[in-house]
Amino acid sequence: MNKIQAQDFIQQKFAEYYRQNFGSIQPPSRIEKREFAFLLFREKVMLRHKGFKTAEDFRNFLQNVLPSDVYYSSACYERPEEEMGAKGWVGADLVFDIDADHIPTPCNKQHDMWTCKNCGVSGHGAKPEKCPKCKGQKFDDLSWPCDICLESAKEETMKLIEVLDKDFGFSPQEMTLAFSGHRGYHVHIENEAVRTLDSMSRKEIVDYLMGIGLEPTLQGFDFEKGMGPNLEDSGWGGRIAKGTYELLASSEEQLEKAGLKKISGAIIQQREQILEKWKRKGPWGLVSAVGTGSWKKIIRQAIERQSVKIDTVVTTDVHRLIRLANTLHGETGLKKIEVSASEIEGFDPFKSAVAFKSGTITVDVFEAPQFRLGEYAYGPYTNEKVELPTAAAMLLLCKGAAKIVEEKAHVQ
Amino acid sequence: MAQPTLNAGRKLIPTPTDLARYPFLPEAGKYIESLEVKIDELTNPELEPTLIRAETRVEEAIISGIIRSRSLKDDVEIPSFPIAAMMVAASANSHLKRRYALAEAIRVSNLLKDEREEKIEAVASNFNWKMKTVKFNVGALTYDFALYFPNFLMNAANIQDEKWKLVNRTMLNGEVYITRKEASRLLQEEVRRHIEGKLDIEVGALPQNVMDRVDRLKRLFTEMSGKIQSEEMPKEVVIDAFPPCIRELRNNALAGRHISHVGRFTLTSFLISSGMTVENVVECFRPASDFSERMTRYQAEHIAGGRGSRTKYIPPKCDTLRTHGVCPGMDETCRGVRHPLAYYRRKLRIIKTQTQAATERA
Repeated sequence: MNKIQAQDFIQQKFAEYYRQNFGSIQPPSRIEKREFAFLLFREKVMLRHKGFKTAEDFRNFLQNVLPSDVYYSSACYERPEEEMGAKGWVGADLVFDIDADHIPTPCNKQHDMWTCKNCGVSGHGAKPEKCPKCKGQKFDDLSWPCDICLESAKEETMKLIEVLDKDFGFSPQEMTLAFSGHRGYHVHIENEAVRTLDSMSRKEIVDYLMGIGLEPTLQGFDFEKGMGPNLEDSGWGGRIAKGTYELLASSEEQLEKAGLKKISGAIIQQREQILEKWKRKGPWGLVSAVGTGSWKKIIRQAIERQSVKIDTVVTTDVHRLIRLANTLHGETGLKKIEVSASEIEGFDPFKSAVAFKSGTITVDVFEAPQFRLGEYAYGPYTNEKVELPTAAAMLLLCKGAAKIVEEKAHVQ
Repeated sequence: MAQPTLNAGRKLIPTPTDLARYPFLPEAGKYIESLEVKIDELTNPELEPTLIRAETRVEEAIISGIIRSRSLKDDVEIPSFPIAAMMVAASANSHLKRRYALAEAIRVSNLLKDEREEKIEAVASNFNWKMKTVKFNVGALTYDFALYFPNFLMNAANIQDEKWKLVNRTMLNGEVYITRKEASRLLQEEVRRHIEGKLDIEVGALPQNVMDRVDRLKRLFTEMSGKIQSEEMPKEVVIDAFPPCIRELRNNALAGRHISHVGRFTLTSFLISSGMTVENVVECFRPASDFSERMTRYQAEHIAGGRGSRTKYIPPKCDTLRTHGVCPGMDETCRGVRHPLAYYRRKLRIIKTQTQAATERA
């Protein structure tokens, strides 16, 4: 089976999904003001600047076009079907994207693969700058959704929600959370006052979340007097205190990793007193061997630990296209699925996002790392023929890591 | 003169003195309507003092960038503001419009910071700010207001000092804590934008006596701004004068390493702004692993203003580059500079001075 046939097969399965789930595809609020975009299977081009008046118009279009991916604009426009310059921007939802690509994860992305376009050498992990064999610089890369990556992304998402709630005062009704269908989460805020914020203002929100440009002396630090914020303080002051507390309580190895090799001994020696004092007043200035320079280093680390790792470009872009909930992700065959803030902690993306729930497909897998869907783990596979539940086979096919042998109808 | 009175809704009714100070308030319009003289009869000799006062406002804005004087006659001072605004709008000079709006805004801000909380609140609520009075001490600082963060951001994001960054503020439940002085500074931005908006109109034919004043102001502005005219970019691109961010981006491009979208945009717009041809910019990106000559040329031409909206783009400022991880850290010349192109101009001057000194020695 060649590539085109594989695509036809995926498209046919996507069509089946959209036929069966017609009603669950909800267009965004203010549909008539949004731009829609569709990535087409065959042509691999983005069909942009589409506008719809009603949910029905939109769904009919979706059924006719059968795209691999469906997006809508976070922005609202007077004339969404016009060219960018003539659309008439009237505002945009505030969006955050947390993607495993932007987070250092414990798995080190060993599941990702790269192949040199020049000599065909391949390897695992992030792609190298130059091919180790031919020094070529062009690669095909293949990233995989992984439990560890998504757990890290989930933790960041929960951090984000906490700041959006406590510091920014957004209500749960204003926030929509979703698993993207691939490697991360989206948080979407619809709020009248925020809608008209320009890119510069949104950049300030990004800087706040990531702790960029944070000046400790403006958050209550006075190094000469050995004073600083308390653990229970709100906002960044308290967050720095918490981050510092965690760092001071961490292992020697972690202290050294944080660039505190010289004073890690002193910290460990005085640790009990420090942590004891913390609970009462805060330890700033307490560790005798820690001078201002080291405190600044510790605080930098504390900020780094407490900062939320978001994609800076997505939030500052006021014309961004966002994947629509309950539509399929063309790279995985999983669906983007919303989850409430109260349920995210126990949320399992590899269960909830499964779109194809019945039947099996036999595929020839070229190479794939181990992955999990629902209750089962699959792989790793190297050049083997396997019969898999449809969702697992679709993931491999969408990733281009397998070719189809035969499909078995649903076992009802 | 009536004393300011508070009504039940804590809405302040401005006195004529308030309107003379804050003539952009909607009540000022009503006051002007109530005057015996009709301000649309601009040739009326009775209006002469108002025209003179209006011209002085603009003159002061041009010369010192701030308006300090005022007429003690409210019936002159209040209508002189819309007339001054009309004169500036009639000049059809965008630089003069910006300078005038800023001067008026600074005047307002200086007055506001010594006002009682109620007055500040009244002006803020005119701009639909969500702000409430608080008394909240943090160390030696006393915060006077809690301001809804979008109102804070819309105004603070344009102010350059680090204390205006949201990340350096105390914010709780969507409210940013600010002092009275800070509220006045933020209102300066709001007033500036408001006045700029008012000036962005086309003015029809005006009577000769007014046009004479407009022409005089335009001449004065040209004279004054001639002194502070910015230097032209040199014809040759001087790579040695590139800031660290651009140097790093360029090196990465030449080595074929991956560059983020923001990085590409920054490099391309910088190179174009510094006078490099689209041709040479395209060459810069050729070693990239995903190089596409067609796309790169298209993007470079777009940034150079040759396509689509015809807007010529300049690189983002330093602060934005920091957010997107493009800034590799500052060098000596970076200090005090907020924009990569400002760095480039400054460094060019330094290099020029050094070369001259060397030539003189030799």
